[in-house]
Amino acid sequence: MSIFRLGDQRPPEPQRITDDVVMRFEHVYEVDPEKMRVFPQQDMPAWDTHRLVAARWDHLDWMHDHFADEVLSTGLGSETMPEEEGE
Amino acid sequence: MSAVAFKSAVDDAVVEELRAILGDGDRVLPNVSSRVNRTRVPAPFPVHRWGEHMPDVAVLPKTAQEVSDVVKLANRLKIPVVPRAGGTGLSDGAVPMRGRGGILVDVKLMNQIHEIDLVDRTVTVGPGINMLKLNEALRPHGVFYPDDPASYPCSLVGGRIGTGGWSLLGSRFGHTRDLVISMEVVLPTGEIVEIAEGGGRKLRKSSTGLTLKHLFTGHQGTLGICTEATLELVPRPETEFAAFFAFEDYLTAHRTTGRLTKSGLATLAGVVLFDEWKLRYLRRDDEAYIPQPESVRAVIAVAMYGRRAEVEPASKIVMELGRADGGRYLGDEISQGDWASRHDRYATPLHGRTQDGQVVPMSWHCEDAALNYSVLPQVREEWHAIVDRYIREYGIFDDWGMFAYTNGAYKPWADYLVEIDVGIWEQKLDETNWDAWVRCKREISEVSLKYGGSMTACHGATREGDAELVPTEMGSSWEVVKRIKRALDPNNVMNPGKQSMDEAYE
Repeated sequence: MSIFRLGDQRPPEPQRITDDVVMRFEHVYEVDPEKMRVFPQQDMPAWDTHRLVAARWDHLDWMHDHFADEVLSTGLGSETMPEEEGE
Repeated sequence: MSAVAFKSAVDDAVVEELRAILGDGDRVLPNVSSRVNRTRVPAPFPVHRWGEHMPDVAVLPKTAQEVSDVVKLANRLKIPVVPRAGGTGLSDGAVPMRGRGGILVDVKLMNQIHEIDLVDRTVTVGPGINMLKLNEALRPHGVFYPDDPASYPCSLVGGRIGTGGWSLLGSRFGHTRDLVISMEVVLPTGEIVEIAEGGGRKLRKSSTGLTLKHLFTGHQGTLGICTEATLELVPRPETEFAAFFAFEDYLTAHRTTGRLTKSGLATLAGVVLFDEWKLRYLRRDDEAYIPQPESVRAVIAVAMYGRRAEVEPASKIVMELGRADGGRYLGDEISQGDWASRHDRYATPLHGRTQDGQVVPMSWHCEDAALNYSVLPQVREEWHAIVDRYIREYGIFDDWGMFAYTNGAYKPWADYLVEIDVGIWEQKLDETNWDAWVRCKREISEVSLKYGGSMTACHGATREGDAELVPTEMGSSWEVVKRIKRALDPNNVMNPGKQSMDEAYE
């Protein structure tokens, strides 16, 4: 049985990606909180971040399926970020 | 002649008469919240004088006869009529003019599918239906209505017809005006008429009489209200292919765009060229671009639809052309994900940056000029210079970059929908800042005209900052426009004042 504890839901400390962006979960980017002083960033529990990311992928998959029976792939990865190819 | 409709004619007696026409009090809405919610669209709006744009009453008709009776009432009392469908346009076609009020005719309840004809390949619908919902109903039949704006999940067929909408898939399947076969229209004087190419509700081409269909698409609600439309059905696409290519400079990407669009590939649905300002903007917030190296300064997106037998070999040509001059493929994941997101740009939370980099909520101005391929580099320089000047002077604007998207239906090679997206911090709007925005908008439009372009490829020239330039753009044909408007709308009740058409009554 799992018990919900707010403390367990706190996201990890952010890692800086660019001058504008930080990252707390892999490939999930956030605006640097320092850039959100006029309208402060809301306190987002980890589960909600994961829910939003999953919903986004669901939405994109739905769009593909809505517009065509299949999506043709080249089988190629990024040619601009070769360092990620070996991961 | 002075025949400008005026708002003061709407009183309790008019509201009662509207209730009698619609026979249902719930579909006549004089209350404030119903009117406030139908006052603006997502385009930048002078929020500091919201009340001055509100309609006096909103109505929700269900039939063409109800629309007709409402319009006849408006003529008798010279009350403005403003048609509205989804209210998602990024111009002001569905926004009552300042200080005029009037009756807002909201067609959302006219959302039925009347007929699916799989033999002659048409679907007949009410103007209040949404394309996504329509295509869900069409899918079991293996057919598709391929009108695909960036507002695909929320815009409605009637608004698409009124604005002469532009589709992401237009190079392959045509834009709204190419996809509407015929319409039922309530004219500004209330008559209900059938509008097609010639006669015949389901014919794609006719040379009889005058071709009226195009006159009744893209008039911005100034020539009538569409109450039913017969639309094109195409076979549901079997295969989708999307490929994004990165470039180190804009001019190389521009050359490659030209090669791709002139390739003659029939399955090409769209080619988009993003400039370095757009890349800078995307690097702030978009997961596909944040990790890209600084050398990525321009991007081309290509999308294709059709049978696999066509798309698969064509995709190899696209990959070859896209990389022939230094373009680097962004990979399947980014290409497919970014393309899928383009069907629904209205889901994007809108925010921009102040000059010191702080995030603030902003609304979205989408300049949507039509321009030829040859002038894109120079227009880009001049547009960004204009916006930069206003950013530095007023501090409430933000340059969200530019893109150029193939514009010709079935002919993608020569002209483009060219956008510069500008963020505007609406909470800071007052008369001074709004006037600054209108001047900025006008300067941008003047550049389009200087280079032989059109101010708007899809949203319509109904905003301050471009509406006053419509006579200039129309040139010698402006007299014809005015005569048509005056002949069809003698009392100037149908969306009066839009596109400078009040000049028809001077």
